[in-house]
Amino acid sequence: MSYPPQPPQSPYGQQPYGQQPPYPPQGPPSGYSQHQYEQSHQATQAGMHVPPPPYQASPAGQFGAPVFQPPGGDAPQVWDAGTLPADDNVNPYCFSVDLNGAYYLQKGKMIAYYGEMRFSGIGRGVLDRVLEQNFNSPLHASDWVVAEGRGKLLLADRSYDLNSYDLEDGNLTVRSGNLLAFEPTLRLKQSIIPGFLTLIGTGKFVAASNGPVHFVEPPIRVDPQALVGWADCPAPCHHYDHSYLHGVIGGLRHLTGIGGASGEEHQFEFIGAGQVLMQSSETLMADRSVGVVAAEAGVPGAGVPHQQHGGAPGLGNLGNLGDLGRRFGL
Amino acid sequence: MAFTRINNKMISAQIVPGQRILSQRGSMLGYTGEVTFQPNLMGGQGGVMSMIGRRVANEDTPLMTVEGHGTVMFGHGGHHVHVIDLVGDTLYVEADRLLAFEGSLQQSTMFMGQQGGLMGVVRGQVTGQGLFTTKLTGKGAVAVLAHGGVIELPIFPGQPVHVDPQAYVAHRGEVTNKLSSALGWRDMVGRGSGEAFQLELSGQGAVYVQASEVKL
Repeated sequence: MSYPPQPPQSPYGQQPYGQQPPYPPQGPPSGYSQHQYEQSHQATQAGMHVPPPPYQASPAGQFGAPVFQPPGGDAPQVWDAGTLPADDNVNPYCFSVDLNGAYYLQKGKMIAYYGEMRFSGIGRGVLDRVLEQNFNSPLHASDWVVAEGRGKLLLADRSYDLNSYDLEDGNLTVRSGNLLAFEPTLRLKQSIIPGFLTLIGTGKFVAASNGPVHFVEPPIRVDPQALVGWADCPAPCHHYDHSYLHGVIGGLRHLTGIGGASGEEHQFEFIGAGQVLMQSSETLMADRSVGVVAAEAGVPGAGVPHQQHGGAPGLGNLGNLGDLGRRFGL
Repeated sequence: MAFTRINNKMISAQIVPGQRILSQRGSMLGYTGEVTFQPNLMGGQGGVMSMIGRRVANEDTPLMTVEGHGTVMFGHGGHHVHVIDLVGDTLYVEADRLLAFEGSLQQSTMFMGQQGGLMGVVRGQVTGQGLFTTKLTGKGAVAVLAHGGVIELPIFPGQPVHVDPQAYVAHRGEVTNKLSSALGWRDMVGRGSGEAFQLELSGQGAVYVQASEVKL
């Protein structure tokens, strides 16, 4: 049951962006700009990772402390349509998609684009009718748009770490809020576990995580909030642990609530073979209505939900249907 | 060393029978093996009087005791995690910044006035740290939370280090700190530099500073 310290690994063709400093380069760099990024990133890492000075060291510089040098030679890289990486990270927080055709992306995750492209809701238009066949999750349809055209599409999400994953005739389940974009060659379905989406087939997708993704192998129990997703292993089961509530003292504690709970009574337990993806956070990505521009000064139309005032203005209030109207894109 | 860094926001801890780890409640991300998480009624170590002291001092961050054998991963709120190894010296840290620490460390609550006298009290009020802070002494590892990456600045005798009170995370060693104010008439009319208060640390040790001015 012991969990061996894992070497840096990157299943599913995931690009290891500085998650583990001494990562082995996997294959040739996919282009000039990619190489540039790696170099500058390495330099930054080397600059930031100043080994902690010896605790009892004698004064090093004039002012005692070692002089903290900014990462040398790390001039800001200027990107244009030609040098932006194709289907690769620009930096750990920004992903560049080389769009030629169609791509699904979650609303509000596009930050910039070069070229000619259109963004349209799912289920509108002729092409989307075809595409809709591999979007088998009506509950989430209103949160997604299709980008069509040619160019470079830049994705980012609240400075979360982005990673792209290549699936080859495989399946991977990911938290719905953490999935940013995927190729139309993949089919999207809802997982048995609420709040998770399963991608099946061959293709590339982009997912976000708070902090770098950490891969672990079953058997493991994971806090539900720290779970990003899982691949190839069976769906998890619930694990409850209330052992400290047993006995007389435990009963008293249970009755009175004195002492509180540890907050770790419930985990997802994974067994079997596969990979579990964890993020280094207990905070979930906020389950807000994506696509709503935050109310700020200088942003026109801020605070107005797009989807409610979109195609069908008369259907904004569906009575006691609650959230269903939004979910179905009405 | 009990804590292993996974990435800048996650650590893993080896739990072996007979050695316990105290951690903030709800900060477990995942574990392998047989590990129990028991809410710590006392909010730390040192018996009932220490518990009362912590309650009074408002330093009673909810802790849980982690025991068993296996590997546990810790992280909280997407904050950066920094592991500090104590070798018999003392670390002063705010209780809500504590992610996890080894049970071999002695935990106690300290009155701010002990360091810097009256100005220490003012310092606690100005920086939002309150009148009390948590002290960890002994041999073992501590994981502290910070918003943004953590930088360690060594302090040598005669060469004090000035830090922004909002960026201050923790300090260790034989260090006295005082709040140095550079208040002038500009601050009174609202045209200050925004750096009116600084924390001056002098002595022998180190101070940990986060790359952000956001308090936890």
